[in-house]
Amino acid sequence: MPGVLALLPEYAGLSDPVADLRAACVKAVAWLEGSVEIVADAQGRRVAEHLLAAVGSSGPVIRPAEATPDRARDLIVVANGSATRTEKAPGHLDERAAAFDEELGRHLREGDSESLRAIDVALADELWATVRPLVELGAVGDLGAGETVYDDDPFGVQYWVMRWRCES
Amino acid sequence: MTLKLGRHEFADDATLMMAIVNRTPDSFYDKGATWAEDKAFERVTHVVAQGAEIVDIGGIKAAPGVEIGAAEEKARVVDFVARVREAHPGLVISVDTWRAEVGQAVCEAGADVLNDAWGGADPELADVAASYDAAIICTHTGGVTPRTRPYRIEYDDVVAAAIADTVAYAERAVAAGVDPRSAVIDPAHDFGKNTFHSLELTRRLDEMVATGWPVLVSLSNKDFVGESLDLPVGERLTGTLAATAVCALAGARIYRVHEVVETRQVVDMVNTIAGRRLPARAIRGLQ
Repeated sequence: MPGVLALLPEYAGLSDPVADLRAACVKAVAWLEGSVEIVADAQGRRVAEHLLAAVGSSGPVIRPAEATPDRARDLIVVANGSATRTEKAPGHLDERAAAFDEELGRHLREGDSESLRAIDVALADELWATVRPLVELGAVGDLGAGETVYDDDPFGVQYWVMRWRCES
Repeated sequence: MTLKLGRHEFADDATLMMAIVNRTPDSFYDKGATWAEDKAFERVTHVVAQGAEIVDIGGIKAAPGVEIGAAEEKARVVDFVARVREAHPGLVISVDTWRAEVGQAVCEAGADVLNDAWGGADPELADVAASYDAAIICTHTGGVTPRTRPYRIEYDDVVAAAIADTVAYAERAVAAGVDPRSAVIDPAHDFGKNTFHSLELTRRLDEMVATGWPVLVSLSNKDFVGESLDLPVGERLTGTLAATAVCALAGARIYRVHEVVETRQVVDMVNTIAGRRLPARAIRGLQ
């Protein structure tokens, strides 16, 4: 799911500009049971923690230092595609954004871990995409095909909400 | 203290209207209305008649878009500055540019103020102001690159950050030779900031005023007004004037505006309420 600051209560307005995204995130987070590890940058972590609290998650949130390979847990990975998809996008229009997001979206839907580990991070930075957590996602093992809950760019930023059920 | 803007000086308590005159085909509010030079010149004459003490001439829109290099920027503003200088000797001419090269050319042509909307992106701009004895507007942008939009920017304390950056810029300018009466600070609403940041800066503007540097605010028709009231660009005057009143109460000195008459009335009314300005003419009940 994307680390959209507008999801946080401190940035609430009278109306919710990301209502559909919020519903998708809540639905996705509500599937998680038990212990949850958050894979995100500092801002993304706050968004994930807020959503976990919003669904009344009872499982503990595992800090990265506590995670061990053999401890079963759920992951919330907070990332998003480019923020340069349109002239009005935060990063304005970069002609390379559409192809970058199309390819990344495909890797996510297919659970293509190898491609996720090989994301062009330098290009992602130029396109204002938050992808390092997805590189980490590529390292967790067999993802299998992803289920798409949300795939849209209402503000020129590519958001996905997806889930994978992994065997390992 | 006295405010010295190039060739012109203003008393301690003076509030000034800085009328925006864009030499662009695509700025967000006027949308090319003054792109043709004669139209721009008419607007200058018009705002001077309305009482504006300053015109702020800009050659590049703030939003991202087609890149406009220094040569094109100069082509849009330099000769125009010279023309305005000659026609309006008593008018303060400000130029909205971040580039030292453009600053130099417009000062040669008669500009009094360099309005650096992008927070010191070109550190040599202050040197240009110093060498021409021009004034400089020192803005806070959170360090963003010129013509970029804010994206998930956060501050521990946006007001503390704005004060720290603008005061540091003003002090650097003075150290570079700018007259201490010629450095102005501006929190630059919405530049590198979201609506919550701009609202907080407005609410706590008294802290910027308390630094002792003269404060300029540029609120006119901005998105923080639009997002607060859910109104599009053309319908934000009332909201802008409300924000103006709050800034006036806090003690802002210079107001960068599209609408001179309305802003002047709001600022004068607030300053009269605050006891800083006398009513224009009082006889009712006093005969």
